[in-house]
Amino acid sequence: MAAQLPDVALSTPVADTPLSAVPESGRRGRGALHSLDIWIPAGFLILMIAACYLWPLVYHMPPPVGGSILAANLPPLSPGHIFGTDPVGNDILSRIFYGGRVSFEVGISTTLIGLVIGGLLGTVAGYRGGATDAVISRVLDVLIAFPSLVLALAIAEALGPSELHTIWALSFYSIPLFGRLARAATLPLGEQTFMLAARVSGTKARRVLMRHVVPNILPQLMTFALLGVGVAIILEGALSFLGLGVPAPGPSWGNMIALGFQTMTSQPDLVLIPSAFLCATVIAINVLGDALRARGATR
Amino acid sequence: MSTSILEPVGVGALGPGDRATAMARTILRSPSLRLIGRRLLTAIPVLFGVTLLAFIVMNLLPGDAARELSGINATPAEVHALTIKLHLNYPFWVRYGDWLGGALQLHFGTSLTSGVSVTSILAQRLPVTFELVGYGFVISLVLAVPPAVLAARRPNGLFDRIHLAVSLTGLSIAPYVLALLLVIVFAVHLGWFPAIGFVSVSQSVGGNLRSLTLPAFSLGFGLACFYTRLLRADIVEQMQSQDYVVTAQAKGLRPSRILVRHALRNSLFGFLTVVGVNLGSLIGVTVITEQIFSLPGIGYELLQAIDNRDVPVVLATVVVFAVIVIAANLLTDLLYAVLDPRIRYGRSAA
Amino acid sequence: MSAAEGAAVTDGTTVARAAAPGTGAGTSATPVARGGPAAPLLEIADLHVHFRQRGQDVAAVNGLSYATEAGRTLAIIGESGSGKTVSSRAIVGLLPPSAKVTGSIRFLGEELIGLPEPQMRRHRGPDIAMVFQDPARSLHPTMRIGQQIVEAIRAHLPLDRKAARERAVELLRLVRLPAAERRYEEYPHQLSGGMRQRVMIAIALACKPKLLIADEATTALDVTTQAQVMELLLDLQQQLGMALVMISHDMGLAATYADEVIVMYAGRAVERATTAELFSHVRMPYTKALLEAVPRIDRPAHARLPVVEGRPPDLSALPPGCAFAPRCPGAQDDCRESRPPLEEHEPGHLWACWHPCMGGRQP
Repeated sequence: MAAQLPDVALSTPVADTPLSAVPESGRRGRGALHSLDIWIPAGFLILMIAACYLWPLVYHMPPPVGGSILAANLPPLSPGHIFGTDPVGNDILSRIFYGGRVSFEVGISTTLIGLVIGGLLGTVAGYRGGATDAVISRVLDVLIAFPSLVLALAIAEALGPSELHTIWALSFYSIPLFGRLARAATLPLGEQTFMLAARVSGTKARRVLMRHVVPNILPQLMTFALLGVGVAIILEGALSFLGLGVPAPGPSWGNMIALGFQTMTSQPDLVLIPSAFLCATVIAINVLGDALRARGATR
Repeated sequence: MSTSILEPVGVGALGPGDRATAMARTILRSPSLRLIGRRLLTAIPVLFGVTLLAFIVMNLLPGDAARELSGINATPAEVHALTIKLHLNYPFWVRYGDWLGGALQLHFGTSLTSGVSVTSILAQRLPVTFELVGYGFVISLVLAVPPAVLAARRPNGLFDRIHLAVSLTGLSIAPYVLALLLVIVFAVHLGWFPAIGFVSVSQSVGGNLRSLTLPAFSLGFGLACFYTRLLRADIVEQMQSQDYVVTAQAKGLRPSRILVRHALRNSLFGFLTVVGVNLGSLIGVTVITEQIFSLPGIGYELLQAIDNRDVPVVLATVVVFAVIVIAANLLTDLLYAVLDPRIRYGRSAA
Repeated sequence: MSAAEGAAVTDGTTVARAAAPGTGAGTSATPVARGGPAAPLLEIADLHVHFRQRGQDVAAVNGLSYATEAGRTLAIIGESGSGKTVSSRAIVGLLPPSAKVTGSIRFLGEELIGLPEPQMRRHRGPDIAMVFQDPARSLHPTMRIGQQIVEAIRAHLPLDRKAARERAVELLRLVRLPAAERRYEEYPHQLSGGMRQRVMIAIALACKPKLLIADEATTALDVTTQAQVMELLLDLQQQLGMALVMISHDMGLAATYADEVIVMYAGRAVERATTAELFSHVRMPYTKALLEAVPRIDRPAHARLPVVEGRPPDLSALPPGCAFAPRCPGAQDDCRESRPPLEEHEPGHLWACWHPCMGGRQP
């Protein structure tokens, strides 16, 4: 829907080997400086997650819902409300934290489900080939061609919007995604000699899969998984924006943005603050994902 | 002009008719195009699957279309009558079969809410969405290609680093967030573009473009960031590891010429595949964009139809979306096969 | 004996430059009778090329010197990693920016090292041209052949499109490509390997270069085609009066086609002589081993092929003595301790060995 995952094959980092005889040094200063582009975003993300879950526990905060109308629409940097309050009187900072929980939970759950189920399906399809592959691939194709939004809408309408239902809905998007990736990663492995050796020696298929295939494709999938979390967070925001995710008044970055949309002209900060957090989180995820991918490639 | 499968004709021009025939023959024999034919065949069950899934989903939704349509004050008898009239009392498979039969003849029924034929709704709304997507696509290409080329000139140079940072950030901004930001800045504060509403081409071309610029930009920008990174990486990879680049350098060509005429040319091939595939999924993003900007496109229609349990409209829209996705994939493959001379002209006798 | 007129190198020390024939201990005899002392077209003196790889310094070329002139064919022979390709790329300045090149490369007296890139580009094509190893990958896959040649022409010569096209077709005929007019419009994948290599040669000759460097130009071809292409190259050399530098690992090729041979090992020249002299009086154990490794028809059937034992040296960690010592059957203590310099021990024959094979004629 919203964002796309980059294609591994095409977005390799700069590889500098102009003459095959003389490989050139990839990166200079492999020590601290190079790790910085991993640790800064990673640190930011860890801080964000920690803040969303731990801060309200440690530090007394006004609740994210049920605010008093008397305290409505306070601007940022008001006493007691560092980000101000929304039109109903809820503290924005607290809503940001609780909303952040939703984003991370949905993002990570969706990706995990996609990774496990989709990964399994794709691996089996790639390994088995033949009819199994055909059937699984068709099913995945159907899920991809089907606008996931309709599915999400339908689920939200049928069962009522909630965080759990959002996860289900987004799983229909992440499962085929990882399914395809896993399949594409598994297919070339089948040709390799170690695979043939394993099969010839009579190893049961499941063992072959677990001990040989999975460890080989897992690194690729993991990098995508990280980027997938970012995409899932954006998608959750989109669904919440449309009113299909976490139901109001419960906070989610998406529905905070939607709420702010209505008073965008008079109070832009209601839109800008959750947007900023959303973007910063996804940026951090992407930078981290990029750095990990670059690291993986040079190894 | 070489025609690899006909007998080698002597030197001298062949007529355009001959050339076309020759090209057609080469294409028909090409393994790539037979692959596309096979893909078309597998696309059919996928389409069926999609429609079936949509049907199932719509049927599982609670709420009774007949009741919704009859209104709050309708008597049970009236609701019942409407149910029978709309065939809503038939079993699932019968209704699906009915619909499918009609769909194959491109009769998608009439909208339950408005009574207007679904086909005419599609005809009215699809062009708006197409225009939006097309405009967004053009923006994405314009924003993606030149910076990628400039960045690839000096890898790890200043422009390249800025390019990387900007594109990474742009990627990470959700399109709907970008849309809102654009509205705040350009519509509300600067007033250059309208915040909502659509002006059709028949009313005013300039107005039409103006009304679509912000939405197209919000679509195209994120896409551009994605494309530009891919392209830059591929160009750099070509320049640094491909032998033909060394040959070009040995000819004494200027680096800018090598970059554009040699490396970019090859990179655009791979780029084409990604672009084509993505175009199909772009359709999905338009739903939110149309809602934000109140554009009368197919996405907005879909949202409303689901709300209203307007099954025929939902089904038809889902089919359209799926067809677009599948068609985009196939067209990309076809284009690739036609443009790549290695596929177009097979091997000739040595 | 072009080598003698060029620099005679001793390791690391200063270079003895174009000494007049007959003067000094290190120089040698009269030039081959091809019309008087020919001015060296290309003169390389003490060339060093260093790369920085993973924090280590790799000396790909470690003090190479030679010279060649118009009409001569020089073969540079060596294993992979010997520095032969790197040294040739250094001549045209096609090394990656991280390469450090020191020494001197003079083309018709003009120093090429350190030349700003725009000026270097002017030499590539009209003065020095290269033919590479794998024509399948060296030609642009989606550009027509004719266009690739025309591009080389118009980069340097002020010809309009029509004239350039005519010249390109002429070049295709020159390299004996059948159906030149038709090939002009075709793509590289439509041609066979040998034909592609001819196209590469046509591209290289587009601006009538004075020096042609063929870097493993025939390695990727089958034996028959190899012979055809080599014959072509030599004919063209005669016709155009070029100097030809052949880079290869194939001693047989050198024996058949070259006037003079330089054998490289670990970034250095270890033996240099005219072909006749080298093959009849092999001195360096390495060269001898290379010769013996060539399969010969008069060996007994099923005999083991003699190979050079060991592996090519690690260029970032060269031993203090002779680089070949670890693999040399006749290595002795002084070989491992200090490196023998390349010196002219016999007229027209240089080698770098403390204990060369002093044999008579080799079969």
